[in-house]
Amino acid sequence: MIELSGITKSFNSGEPNQFTAVDNVSLVVHPQRITVLKGPSGSGKTSLLTMIGCMARPTSGRIFLRGVAAAVPFQQEGMDSVEITSLPERFLNDIRRSTFGFIFQQFNLVKGISVLENVMLPAYPTGERRPDFRARALGLLEQFSISRHAGQRIELLSGGELQRVAIARALINNPAIIIADEPTAHLDSKLSQEFMAIVGRLKGEGKSVLIASHDPIVFDSPLIDRVVEMRDGAVVNSGSSR
Amino acid sequence: MRRSLQYILFTAAVFAVVLLLSLHARNAQHRRGDPVPQMQNLHVTDLCLTTEARYTRHPSMADRHAPFQEHPLTLEHFPSGSLIMPNLADRYKP
Amino acid sequence: MNNSMERHLNILEFTLASLLRRKAKNLSLLAMYLLVVFMLASLLFFVTALKREAAIILNDAPDMIVQRLMAGRQDLVPVDYVAGIAQIKGVTAVRPRLWGYYYDALNGANFTIMAGDDSAAGSGKTAIGSGVAKTRNLMVGDLLPLIGYDKSPVMLEIGTIFPSASDLIAADLIVISPDDFHHLFNFPAGQATDLAVTVRNPKELATVAAKIVSRFPDSRPILKSEIQRTYQSIFDWRGGMMLLVLASSLLSFIIFAWDKATGLSAEERKEIGILKSIGWETSDVLLLKFWEGIVISLTAFLLGTVLAYGHVFFLSAPLFAQALKGWSVLYPHFRLVPVVDVYQLAVLFFLTVVPYTTATIIPCWRAATIDPDAAMRY
Repeated sequence: MIELSGITKSFNSGEPNQFTAVDNVSLVVHPQRITVLKGPSGSGKTSLLTMIGCMARPTSGRIFLRGVAAAVPFQQEGMDSVEITSLPERFLNDIRRSTFGFIFQQFNLVKGISVLENVMLPAYPTGERRPDFRARALGLLEQFSISRHAGQRIELLSGGELQRVAIARALINNPAIIIADEPTAHLDSKLSQEFMAIVGRLKGEGKSVLIASHDPIVFDSPLIDRVVEMRDGAVVNSGSSR
Repeated sequence: MRRSLQYILFTAAVFAVVLLLSLHARNAQHRRGDPVPQMQNLHVTDLCLTTEARYTRHPSMADRHAPFQEHPLTLEHFPSGSLIMPNLADRYKP
Repeated sequence: MNNSMERHLNILEFTLASLLRRKAKNLSLLAMYLLVVFMLASLLFFVTALKREAAIILNDAPDMIVQRLMAGRQDLVPVDYVAGIAQIKGVTAVRPRLWGYYYDALNGANFTIMAGDDSAAGSGKTAIGSGVAKTRNLMVGDLLPLIGYDKSPVMLEIGTIFPSASDLIAADLIVISPDDFHHLFNFPAGQATDLAVTVRNPKELATVAAKIVSRFPDSRPILKSEIQRTYQSIFDWRGGMMLLVLASSLLSFIIFAWDKATGLSAEERKEIGILKSIGWETSDVLLLKFWEGIVISLTAFLLGTVLAYGHVFFLSAPLFAQALKGWSVLYPHFRLVPVVDVYQLAVLFFLTVVPYTTATIIPCWRAATIDPDAAMRY
């Protein structure tokens, strides 16, 4: 479970061009559910995602991870909860690597190296043994039926295949939570639906999924458990679990 | 085998070759034969690196400036022809 | 511990994959790097080995050579000087040396002719260096024809050919008896080319030299240490000349490598952003760049050193021996006894591997410290 309390994110604070991307958001994201952050661009969805995903720190407010922070060497406030906003950089990175898998709008795959290599990339700095995560990567490619492309460079792949490589990469470190930022922005309707089907499967495997999107295919999908509507950095409709 | 291990093995192998070569050099220095006995009687003073000019075959036996006057592009040795003042104090020490 | 080892291996793995995708570019960079290290290391090996050779050979040289100067030029020494010098305290032996040059018009080579005692060559006999034998195509028992001062032929029977192991001193030597020497050059009796002086205590050399000068004001003593110094400076000078010739290519390589190592392309910058966004830490990215620098420069350094060693000590430095030894008709083919100076190698290492690796890492520093969420904001 992710619990946000009073999260605010301001840029250029104290200067004339100061603006607040996220304004005093409090939210509880339930585990093993698909939650969609819905809203126009500039509504603060992405900023909220980066803070949940330990990529950026909020200007104020606190974020708690409960029941998923097994990789952290110490835990606070009871047995299974960790307050990530106050953690030092090192631990934050550890949590990010072990807890979250990221799917980006642009896929953010590295050109010139093979599909398999791309999928394994997040596992490299963890110090895990290569044969272990290599087997896992091959399994993921198998699962997304792109194993025949394993040795190919990513330039040769189609959009849908790239999408699946990006998902496989997000899953390589076995994260509990998948974070996807506008995942369907560059996909046609058929591929977008395919993506939602995969997301449904991930939920079935017990992952929590958090998606920021303003694509109806995403937030109108029957697989979605909850839609949180955002506008101008604030939650306007925190939705209830369907 | 994974590429990183291959690379490390390769580097280690080349490094080992460098070490072996330095051992080879040390060994060769130890094994170097005694100077040819006939040579010792001759009291030779210089190396036979080049043979033509007297100052290159026996540089140490020629005028002091000779060893440095052998190249067509050589810099002038004498003060009158020098671009930079030579260290006279040094040269004319008794 | 094991964990961090795996981390290194994994990141090295990605480094290699990443270098391999620009195979042509990186291989040519490696090749150029290799060439530079190879040239520098060859030069280093060659000069060091020659210096060592010179030092060892000169160990056997006489402690002091006494020349005579006449009107500022070297002249023959009267043999009378021998007795006078021998009287000086500390001098154990004084031997007159007879030697000179013989220009062989036939093939343009210049030989050194020395008079030796009977152990080397009796009257009418000669001992020659292997260089002479090769140029003239001679064998033991053959006759060596020389032209005397008056253009009359002098035939000498070859008794010995010095082994090629002694080429570095003897390749161009023709040793003949003193009688033949006088006859060949019309060398005046009672004179010598110079005198070889042996002194009991090397520490007294300078004192003895001063005494010789005061007793024979026209003499010029050359100490063994001066000969050794001459050689050190010749090789340093020659090596420096070579370095000067290499300098322009070195410089252009440095500029190229600097540009390649420091210039961070937009694509590389984006890649670093991607790595950060998928959970790589700044230190991981820097480690990646560290390995990138090491893989290129260490490989070039190690391979270049090995190749240079083979080039200098197994092949006798064909690439620039000419420039270092001069252009000679009678070219002494000698094999240098290998010598490796660890200190010099260390200097070469710090001049090649360290700057390149640093130049690879530094520009990434800023790119690597971007926030991990930057990749989400493209």
